[in-house]
Amino acid sequence: MVTLYRPGDGPWYRLPTGWKTALLLVVVLAVCLLPPTWWAAGVMAAVCVACYAVPGIGLRELGRQAWAARWIVVVTLAGQLIFLDPEHAVANAARVTTAITLAGLLTLTTPATELLDTVERAMQPLARLGLDPQRAALTLSVTLSTLPVLARLARDVREAQLARGGGRSLRHFAMPYLVMVLKHADELGDALAVRGVR
Amino acid sequence: MSGVELENVTVRLGDTDVLRDVTLSLRARTVAVVGENGSGKSTLARLLSGLAVAREGTVRVLGLDPARQVAELRRRVAVVFSNPDAQIVMPTVAEDVAFSLRTEKLSRQERTERVTAALGRFGLADLADRSSHDLSGGQKQLLALCGAFVRNPDLVVADEPTAYLDAPNARRVADHLLEDAAHRMVLVTHDLALARRCDVAVLVQDGAVTRVGAPDDVLAAYEASIRW
Repeated sequence: MVTLYRPGDGPWYRLPTGWKTALLLVVVLAVCLLPPTWWAAGVMAAVCVACYAVPGIGLRELGRQAWAARWIVVVTLAGQLIFLDPEHAVANAARVTTAITLAGLLTLTTPATELLDTVERAMQPLARLGLDPQRAALTLSVTLSTLPVLARLARDVREAQLARGGGRSLRHFAMPYLVMVLKHADELGDALAVRGVR
Repeated sequence: MSGVELENVTVRLGDTDVLRDVTLSLRARTVAVVGENGSGKSTLARLLSGLAVAREGTVRVLGLDPARQVAELRRRVAVVFSNPDAQIVMPTVAEDVAFSLRTEKLSRQERTERVTAALGRFGLADLADRSSHDLSGGQKQLLALCGAFVRNPDLVVADEPTAYLDAPNARRVADHLLEDAAHRMVLVTHDLALARRCDVAVLVQDGAVTRVGAPDDVLAAYEASIRW
């Protein structure tokens, strides 16, 4: 999600971020309110196709988004099939897939700085309750952009474990990983401080 | 323009004085800080950046007290660390550079112009929309420098900025740091060739500044003091 933005041109790119967010929220909400039936699942798929089949995006991108969300879809579908009939399970899984792929449209067509500004503006009313919108938006952004680093640290620890003849022991993985993550958090805090974040 | 002034400064971490009674006056444009691991070099850099606080003594950086005038210090002093991964905050290259300008009141166009100019200067213009975390180590460090320099700082404090880099990238980063006459530079480094390119060198040993002067003299003293 964090590295999805792809520069381009088209209706989704030209739409102001606030309106785009609101529009996608409304569409996702509408999709969620559909009854759990086969035809509703079909409507959800059609909505996704309609949203992606515009200049600047394309159905290939829809395929990429859906593929990226495949494990979430599989887990959701499998869990639902245990307790529900196939029609309900498929409709619910389609709901989740639609929400993820439509949310992908936002990150795909909006630079992170604009998203950050929008989140900050949207949180402005909460400032009266003592929430610092700038800090909240920044926390969100830093959290998202730290995910690839955490994945890389996990890979580094795992490779070091294997290089030293260790197996895939969770216990031997957890301690060095925790130390590296805390060290990274410390360094990131310093980097934010020196770039003017208090 | 005033530089760095330390008077009887002691910095304590836990139970240990990592800098002890340091008195130092630096007015040269480029200063190299050298010494063994654990000698207190990085603490000196953190002190100048306002990230470490003196337990005793007086610190003045560009005439500012880092403990009391931290906002002004952040505006005028940029810091570059050795690990570029920890300095990247935003998902794409251009956005990460733009992040440094968030606290400055600029129009969107001004911000874009400043970012574009900085990216061009550091050879990153073609990578503007790339994911920051997909860059090579050298490119990441150039991005960190770009994020620091886009604010046009008066002083750059760099703590081993070439430690993770291969020779060509280390050279590229060093050239950017040392050849721009628009700012002062305090460079903590183990790279003695890089230290030789500075105007002045400072030798830190066991938490104390033991020598300040021409890089050749200071580095000769440093090398003579090393017990192999």
